[in-house]
Amino acid sequence: MQVLDDLWIRIAVWFRGLLESFLPPWAVQLTMDVLGILLLIVLGIVVVLAFTYMERKVIARVGDRIGPNRAGPFGIFQAIADAIKMLTKEDVTPTNADRWLFLAAPIVVIIPAVLLYAVLPLGRGMVGVDLNIAVVFVVAMGGIPILTMLMAGWASNNKYALLGAFRTVAQLISYEVPMVVALLTVVLLAGTMSTVGIVEAQASFPFALVTPVAFVVYMLAGLAELNRTPFDLLEADSEIVAGYFIEYSGMKFAMFFLAEYINLFMVAGMITTLFLAGWQWPILPSWLWFLIKVVLVIFLMMWIRATFPRFRIDQMLGFAWKALVPLSLINLFLVALVAKVLEPGWVRTGVLFVSNLALLAGAIAIMAQVARKREERARAAGEAAIKRYYGSEVR
Amino acid sequence: MYGKGIVKGLWVTLKHIWGTYAKDIKRFPRRYAPGGIAKRTDYDLYGLFTLQYPEERYEMFPRFRGALMHLRNPETGEPNCTACGACERACPHGVISLEGEGKGKDRKVTAYRYDLGRCIFCRLCVESCNFNAIELSREYELSRYKKDFILELDDLLKIGDKYGIHKTGEAWGVTE
Repeated sequence: MQVLDDLWIRIAVWFRGLLESFLPPWAVQLTMDVLGILLLIVLGIVVVLAFTYMERKVIARVGDRIGPNRAGPFGIFQAIADAIKMLTKEDVTPTNADRWLFLAAPIVVIIPAVLLYAVLPLGRGMVGVDLNIAVVFVVAMGGIPILTMLMAGWASNNKYALLGAFRTVAQLISYEVPMVVALLTVVLLAGTMSTVGIVEAQASFPFALVTPVAFVVYMLAGLAELNRTPFDLLEADSEIVAGYFIEYSGMKFAMFFLAEYINLFMVAGMITTLFLAGWQWPILPSWLWFLIKVVLVIFLMMWIRATFPRFRIDQMLGFAWKALVPLSLINLFLVALVAKVLEPGWVRTGVLFVSNLALLAGAIAIMAQVARKREERARAAGEAAIKRYYGSEVR
Repeated sequence: MYGKGIVKGLWVTLKHIWGTYAKDIKRFPRRYAPGGIAKRTDYDLYGLFTLQYPEERYEMFPRFRGALMHLRNPETGEPNCTACGACERACPHGVISLEGEGKGKDRKVTAYRYDLGRCIFCRLCVESCNFNAIELSREYELSRYKKDFILELDDLLKIGDKYGIHKTGEAWGVTE
């Protein structure tokens, strides 16, 4: 088991030894760094191929369909076939587009997505850089795609693209707030901002059990950050055709697509790291545990996508500012208070778990009350309108 | 309670995912094998309903009206057709044209042309036939690469050999 657990690290050490036998030290370091970066990029592409296939299969199965099954056994080469199709497609630039911005947007969107992998602990000792401000890094890098979307929308010189970009920016900025507060809750509990430190702090209890509220808030905000259903307003086909990348075709479109799925893996990886104890848990090798948890989280996201219709734009922004932000702030205060008063251990976890569940129930109850009031008001307004139209009698 | 619908919706979709895989496991070797799937007998809303056409085909019901076929006499192996021309006269579209030779009981069909492109599958030709010579088959893959939709006697006999019946209406369980 120990051998399997350290498998990748052992391979790295062996390879380093191999290089040291005939290269000077600085060249060894350079080669290892470049190889590490290349590996992370390749991981990103493999992830895209694997999860597009998985997504299509899961969505198909929900609809009692088979999904891709023509290219290769069980259709496993479908994603590769799609990639080849994308590469060979004509690359169109609109006549009145801002050419340089139009070119730059797909490149800029993919860089932060790949950069984020640097701080993702894929297993015990398997992390690109153990930054001590990794959480801040994640938030900062997560902010760059917002700019890119506006770039793409503006440069396309297309009103649907611009509308889609506006919607996306409004959505992403709104959901950044509860996401950061949820992150802060976890940082408060772990006492460190390093992703490795956060995973190690969850040795006894995963933070999903300690603060379910933060977990739920982060999950919802993550869905919104990824522009996935039920927050996929920017792609709302029936309203704005395809969103900010409507004018993109061929490889440039593929770049946005790649970035979307690389970010999907990243958000699922962050949820795993922050709330599900990362690579911890016994018996299986650490990197396998991490992969299993990430796949489960991504399955949950696909399941949600297959189940729910999308929000209206005012509902979505209202949900962020009126529900998630207050909820996550109250949770932050609660966790800070309890973490200050009680020592770490069973008692603190129990108190936090129970109080968090109570908070969640309270939030749902308040939202139910508000929804009921709104419904009553709408019904009363409707009845009043009928009364005005037909006179005193209501039919 | 508010939020109950969310859980209920997730449960419904999960049941559908699970249902398709459970049914797949139940008939595992058949589904992806070259032979195609077994006929579905449980119609309970779960599981896959997709039929993957070139590998899997629907079996048509007995009274399906497909292309015309000629039937043989089981003893001699000769076509039952006597070239009486009843089908030719009964056809509302002029689909059938035929030639025969010989007199009386020896009369035999020599050429029979059936224009598939104009046939409306009304079965009037079969009803007019007094010699159990023709019947509508269950062939439904009738498209051609060229505009040549005319089937000759040999083609019609070949279709008839596939079904192994010797009387009009035998596949229906009705013989006149």
